Amino acid sequence: MTGNLEIYLSGAVFGVILGAFLLVFAAVLLIVRKKPGVRFQGATADWTLPALDAYADRSSFFHGWDPRVKIATIFFYCFAVASLKSLLWSAMALCIGIVAVIACRIPLRRTVKRLGAMAGFLAMFLFVVPFTSPLRQGEILLYLPFLHGIPFHGHGFAVALRIVLKACAIGLMMEPLLATAALPVTLQALSRLGIPDSISQMLLLTHRYIFVFLHETKRIYRSMRVRGFRPKTDIATMHSMGNFFGMLFVRSFDRTQRVYDAMLSRGYNGSFPSFTHFATTRKDWCKALLWAMIGLALIWLDRFRGYSTW
Amino acid sequence: MHISDGVLPTSVTLAGFALTFAGAALSLKQVRAEDLPRIAVVTSSFFVASLIHLPFGPTSVHLLLPGIVGALLGPVSFLSITLGLFLQSILFQFGGLTALGANAMMMGLPAVFCGLLFRLLRGKTLKMHTIAGGLAGGLGTLLSAVILAALLFTAGEDFLGVAKLALLAHLPVVCIEAGVSAFIISFLFRVKPELLNPGGFPRHDR
Repeated sequence: MTGNLEIYLSGAVFGVILGAFLLVFAAVLLIVRKKPGVRFQGATADWTLPALDAYADRSSFFHGWDPRVKIATIFFYCFAVASLKSLLWSAMALCIGIVAVIACRIPLRRTVKRLGAMAGFLAMFLFVVPFTSPLRQGEILLYLPFLHGIPFHGHGFAVALRIVLKACAIGLMMEPLLATAALPVTLQALSRLGIPDSISQMLLLTHRYIFVFLHETKRIYRSMRVRGFRPKTDIATMHSMGNFFGMLFVRSFDRTQRVYDAMLSRGYNGSFPSFTHFATTRKDWCKALLWAMIGLALIWLDRFRGYSTW
Repeated sequence: MHISDGVLPTSVTLAGFALTFAGAALSLKQVRAEDLPRIAVVTSSFFVASLIHLPFGPTSVHLLLPGIVGALLGPVSFLSITLGLFLQSILFQFGGLTALGANAMMMGLPAVFCGLLFRLLRGKTLKMHTIAGGLAGGLGTLLSAVILAALLFTAGEDFLGVAKLALLAHLPVVCIEAGVSAFIISFLFRVKPELLNPGGFPRHDR
């Protein structure tokens, strides 16, 4: 094919690039290293649950925003970012996300952890798409040593990078969206926005039960380990884990009966009383207008230049 | 596997949301007010179950259990899975907010289908229950992986490689899922068979 810029990397250059990459990676690992929290010896899962609204009582641009307007606006903004097509404006959206997180005065460590959860999925794109995307006219091809058969496609890399930028840009917006109001308030706002009341009730209950069952799970798992259970890749492990999950479900169901009876005896009639009053002021609408304009401006600038990956 | 933000085209994410709203509304119609707390319980116990990792060779996998959700809850499982995914998204950033609709379709449809399959296949004996449970568990994950690959493919031909890899990476999970699901169903059949009865879970007799 003609018109492609083909670059052949020598072993030495490739080695230097790989070395630099590994150094950066090691540095990042050192910075975000996990503190030893509640973890089981030998269990690979992180069993700790983040408290979503731990910083809901601060005050900032986002904290003071009427939750109904805030949710609707940021939801719209997230879709605007998701539909960006160019690298430049996706990077700009990421910068806006960083500014928003700083503006809502939430510790950065929390946000880094949130973005870290996507690392595996996004790394798969970064490493696979450049090598497997189809050949295009006029793109940069990088031939790595030992891998002459499968060149590194410049266009594929741009596509993967765009996804990483957009995913992080939207992931960052979750903090201003969810962490700047108490969860019951957020859910109340959701039901005012048209989500059925029963759904937001179930979400509230589910969120509450997750912590209860996590505790239960830890208890069962601890007693399994005390009795000598060590997970391996074999049928015996599957059998033990099957019984473990089965027991978890049985206990959860038993617990429900008691919890539900207790709720009924305290006057539960299918809905929780709400003491949240929402009031929308002109300031809320101004914030909504500002944020929606940012989203629309991003799309307009993105499309204005015509379609291009860069 | 959860699809993150920014991967799928906007039309696909919006269509996913529309279909998920329709599916959840259909599910919600089958639910009575007094069932709400119990669905919340099932949802959170599956949420917790999906946090547990099983070793697979040098790495580890976590189970998705759509087949078991379907077997226990029937058609309501779609609602349960949508709620669970929403919470996973907002708590852990597993799966993006804009991709929530697509993710819910990816896990919810197999759950409902496998629930039906389980109801059809299970006989009266422990052996048949175990086999049906294993089939439902394995098929649930396999169908999810196929839908995942199809969704990735809608994002453009650049993603064909990723779609194939994702499908391949799910094959060992399918085997483990089938095994564990079979044991879960056999455990429940012996310990609390009323959980597997039509109607999902035991009713209160008031």
